[in-house]
Amino acid sequence: MSFLGYQRSDGSAGIRNWVGVMSVMDNCNPVTRAICDAVAGTIPITTLFVRGQYGKDLKISYDTLGGMGRNANLHAVIVVGLERTSTEEVAGRIRNSGKPVETIIIQDLGSTVTATAEGMRKAAKLAIAASHERRIALPESLLTIGVECGGSDTTSGLAGNPCVGRVADRIIDLGGRIIISETAEFLGAEDLFAARAIDAGVKKAFLDRVRGHEAEAMKQGVDIRGANPVPDNIRGGLTTIEEKALGAMIKAGTRPLVGVLDYSEAPSRAGLHFMATPAPAVESMTGLAAGGCQMIMFATGVGNTIGNMVSPTIKVTGNTNTARTFTDNVDFDVSDVLEKGKTITELGDRLYEFVIGVASGSLTTSEVLGQRETAISRFGPTI
Amino acid sequence: MIRGIVLHSNDNVATLIDTGEAGGSCKLQGEKAGQVKLAAALPFGHKVAIAAIKKGGPVIKYGQVIGNVTADVAIGEHVHVHNVESQRGRGDRAKKE
Repeated sequence: MSFLGYQRSDGSAGIRNWVGVMSVMDNCNPVTRAICDAVAGTIPITTLFVRGQYGKDLKISYDTLGGMGRNANLHAVIVVGLERTSTEEVAGRIRNSGKPVETIIIQDLGSTVTATAEGMRKAAKLAIAASHERRIALPESLLTIGVECGGSDTTSGLAGNPCVGRVADRIIDLGGRIIISETAEFLGAEDLFAARAIDAGVKKAFLDRVRGHEAEAMKQGVDIRGANPVPDNIRGGLTTIEEKALGAMIKAGTRPLVGVLDYSEAPSRAGLHFMATPAPAVESMTGLAAGGCQMIMFATGVGNTIGNMVSPTIKVTGNTNTARTFTDNVDFDVSDVLEKGKTITELGDRLYEFVIGVASGSLTTSEVLGQRETAISRFGPTI
Repeated sequence: MIRGIVLHSNDNVATLIDTGEAGGSCKLQGEKAGQVKLAAALPFGHKVAIAAIKKGGPVIKYGQVIGNVTADVAIGEHVHVHNVESQRGRGDRAKKE
């Protein structure tokens, strides 16, 4: 098996071939959007804040923008900034991938009108150059796929997440990379996942992230662990925190944990990775896209519709009602696990075929409907 | 029909995907086939033992231990907070002490 993708000069593989137009800070977003409105083949990667951020917070913003720019789904990137220094911070992080990088510096160009016109000209050239690329057969070992869940319900742990997990195992067995995120989901049952670590170093790194996250929450005066599972979980049939966490973790399959990543960090080896991210989907998926995920498998129970801008997002549901009512936003229905007694292996394998299709160019609902958003995590206040 | 899904071949519990009445026959699907007779009424989403579990023994779902039973559990019995104890992470144990 293989998929049809775009081979990049740094050895990575794109499953899309867009020209990314990226804002360095929030005040550039209108120019970014205007360029994308005018030029086919481009996608807008907007952001909030950055101006006035400092220290670790600013570094993570730059690293995340840089990571999204390096994502192999982008053939080229136009970095739209207000002034030269911050624009170069972002552009410099993308250039090392070897892809074409252009900058639009609004202050140097004199106005948003001239900046938009110059951006359109550059984007048009890059979009035409991108169209000369051809898809070729590439091995699954070049795939990095994020696994997410949101709007979870009973069916998530019984059908949606286990089917995603089946695909995760198959991708890892073929030499690819899977990244699971959302630190808070592991709280209270972190030892179960830590037991899958390949060595003591990885185990400690994982446990440090989970406990650090808990300590951060405690500092805010919030007890996110609390009584878990909560009463409505218990009413729903969840007995212990281990059971609840396993239902979420099963989307990462069953293979060993080989690496632990900070927000937006890319894996450097094959296998299953954990990325420390907040739980909300847009923020978490932004970190995954910056970490190099060309695609995200997203299991939903009651219906969560959002996708990532750079990393096509496959919405999977095991809830037959959601498959019906959210038909516009569901990419793959695994409700037959519950409704027709199909096995997770069977539907997971069909989901795998679908994933290879999307990797080869089949479009997802969030791409077609524009249900895509970017949000970079904040780790400090703005001054 | 009352259906119960088994998520891993090593599991000793099935999760009901229908509402089950006492004495009803629960048909297993997923990673194991068979039938168990429900000892009590069980809501959707709750677990039934598909193998006998000795007091202190592990409750296995997803092929992993999700807790230990606090009393002997027979096939067909409800497995939930009334007869299962969590083996929670170290953080929680520290909090109890």
